[in-house]
Amino acid sequence: MVTASTLMETRSPAPNLRPTLPAAEAGRPAAPAAPAGQILIDIDHVDFFYGASQALHDINLKVEDKKVTAFIGPSGCGKSTLLRCLNRMNDLIDGTRVARGSIKIRGIDIHRRDVDVIELRKRVGMVFQKSNPFPKSIYENITYGLRLQGVSNKARLDEIVEKSLRGAALWDEVKDRLHASGLGLSGGQQQRLCIARAIAVEPEVILMDEPCSALDPIATAKVEELIHELKTRFTIVIVTHNMQQAARCSDKTAFFYMGRLIEYADTQTIFMNPGNPQTEAYVSGRFG
Amino acid sequence: MDVPSAATSAGFLANKSKFHLLGLTLDDCIRVFFGGNAVVSVVVLALITIFLFKEGFGFFGQNEGNLRVYRQAGLEYVDIIRAQQDDHTALTRYLSDLRVRQFKTMVGAGKLSPAAANQALAGFDDFAGRFGDAVGPIRGIVSDLTEAATAIKDKFINVENHKEERRQLLAAGKAAAAAAVVIDNVDFSAELKPLLATLPAYKEANAEFSRQLTAVLADAPVLPAAELQVRMERFKQLVREYLAGFPVVEQKLAAWDYTRPVPWYQAFTSFIFGREWLTASFWQDWYGVIPLFIGTLMVSAVALVLAVPLGVGAAIYVNQIATATEQRFIKPGIEFISAIPSVVLGFFGIAVLGQALRALSQVTWLAWVPGFPFSERLNILTAGCLLALIAVPTIFTLAEDALNNVPRSFKEASFALGASRLQTIIKIIVPASLSGIISAVLLGLGRVVGETMVVLLCAGNRIAIPDFTAGLAVITQPVHTMTGIIAQEMGEVVHGSIHYRALFVVGMVLFFLSLLINYLAQRVVRRYRISIG
Repeated sequence: MVTASTLMETRSPAPNLRPTLPAAEAGRPAAPAAPAGQILIDIDHVDFFYGASQALHDINLKVEDKKVTAFIGPSGCGKSTLLRCLNRMNDLIDGTRVARGSIKIRGIDIHRRDVDVIELRKRVGMVFQKSNPFPKSIYENITYGLRLQGVSNKARLDEIVEKSLRGAALWDEVKDRLHASGLGLSGGQQQRLCIARAIAVEPEVILMDEPCSALDPIATAKVEELIHELKTRFTIVIVTHNMQQAARCSDKTAFFYMGRLIEYADTQTIFMNPGNPQTEAYVSGRFG
Repeated sequence: MDVPSAATSAGFLANKSKFHLLGLTLDDCIRVFFGGNAVVSVVVLALITIFLFKEGFGFFGQNEGNLRVYRQAGLEYVDIIRAQQDDHTALTRYLSDLRVRQFKTMVGAGKLSPAAANQALAGFDDFAGRFGDAVGPIRGIVSDLTEAATAIKDKFINVENHKEERRQLLAAGKAAAAAAVVIDNVDFSAELKPLLATLPAYKEANAEFSRQLTAVLADAPVLPAAELQVRMERFKQLVREYLAGFPVVEQKLAAWDYTRPVPWYQAFTSFIFGREWLTASFWQDWYGVIPLFIGTLMVSAVALVLAVPLGVGAAIYVNQIATATEQRFIKPGIEFISAIPSVVLGFFGIAVLGQALRALSQVTWLAWVPGFPFSERLNILTAGCLLALIAVPTIFTLAEDALNNVPRSFKEASFALGASRLQTIIKIIVPASLSGIISAVLLGLGRVVGETMVVLLCAGNRIAIPDFTAGLAVITQPVHTMTGIIAQEMGEVVHGSIHYRALFVVGMVLFFLSLLINYLAQRVVRRYRISIG
């Protein structure tokens, strides 16, 4: 298992590039290799607004380290909004705000004023619903994040590209055309390229926003398999519409409805023995 | 078929098209209306193009005639000697420039008062005066020959006019009147004889000229300052080269033959590569587009250098950084610039900008800027600044469109990888929209090249190739442009004259230039469009 501190060392070649998550820095020696089951993300009584309309109501949820957590629920229930709160992607939309509560990653409130949002996003990577490789070569797509961090050593970049592509189960398919455009790949390959791009910067958490919704079943199966493998190295939060997918890949599942967290439990429990009638109605396909 | 119930039930089908106009159904009418609009615009375009070409191509025939007369009337012969005289004038100018420098060093060092300096330069002045006067005999010959050649040319033009008169009378059916028009064809060979007979006299004068220059050069004064002495040596070298050229001139004169035909392509090349646009001259008209073309190019280049950063920068700001409120103000603001009539901009250029730039150029601590200080208020820079203002809205609007077409997902992906806003703009947004930005710039260039009023008012309208030896300072010189010359001269020329047609050819050059720019812009967009899938 990769510990947080080794992660930081491998990712930060120059001392002045060290992250500015201050308490995480201070707290790291005290937080040794987190055992599975330890809380990584602590969402505490969060209310979230788009302008005047409230999208999330009093969300309480704890994401465990090195586990796959699935967010399910009908469209518009707020699951993607919550996901995008975790790396503050919602900051890009005008008029959004977390009105109450806090989101803590390793005990740090990510909305604190002294938190460097750029550093946060390096730690919390994201894969989007629609695959969105840059209009650059495969190689450049993967090295983009690294170059931003100032990595320019060719050998090292080559090594990371290979490692990331292998990690995303794409290496064998593209190793002969690394310098061809990323847009020339198939939909499923593009999505795996996006995953490779996300893991190249070695984040701690990978957020996946319906990563398979635009893919055919075979490509979906590949990505799901990949999620399973990535679980050993990363904490994964996945939003999905596909109940079977949640059941297949996740360890824990949260069911949202109308901006509220209805139920959060082990996936097994949610699907076999849900505690809430609404959850049962949804997972059994009676609404949603 | 004749079953009544079936007929009634099918009635709604038969009722469909009752409306008829000139035997056309409603659908046909609509088609004709919209199709007609499209046809009108295509026809108008075709008519304009045909008209432009018809008037323009006539130029080349006339220009060939123009060049033939130039040779046959002996003007070309005289110009060979005139060139020699002009070279001498250039050398004299070099000397007077040298004197100014000398004067400056003397007075500038504080050793001498201006009067004393002038006195000290008396020897030099004497030298320069003797050098300048030496050309006297040559000048006399040139002036005599000029008169003779002009007379031949006038005679020829007179005959041509008579011919034209007769043709018109014949066309009008007045055969008797036409026959009465006396046409006395010019015998160039006989007319040119006295002209060519001056060659021995010229040779004599030339030998004397050469002797005098050599003598003058022999007692050239030695200048005190080393830097100036270098220039003096350079001058001597130039004069020696000049003298060495004399036999060549004589050979040229001896070999000159008025019957040598003017090659057909020269009518074309003398326009495209001609370095002189000289009209309504008593001597010889030249229609060379190069000075105008360079003028247009220079003004456009200055405009683009200013407009591209402004337009693209503003587009990036509005599209990527500005808040919604800022966007609401900036976008209409920039787009409003294009609502200013260009004549108003030109007026502003003359009254305000030209003055302001000149005043700025005369600020002492800005003297290091190339071209500063300048005294011409209307020049490439003034026109370029205003044209930039005209190009900015075009570039801004199109570049902003291009930036807008970059999928939001690229931006999100970049941010999600920990890129800052600036990194995202530079590394993702701009490269992804580069083709659109380039085509925006090209279309802005097209806009600038075609702009007329501003350059007519503010470019200075001096028809000459700017002096590129001045380096960057070249942008403070006045020029004339292709659009400007058409607007300025079209109102004054005789319909159908060679000058009139020459302006049409300039119009054709502009037409092709715009066509090329637009074609390139479209190609760039098509070639580099990223497939977003």
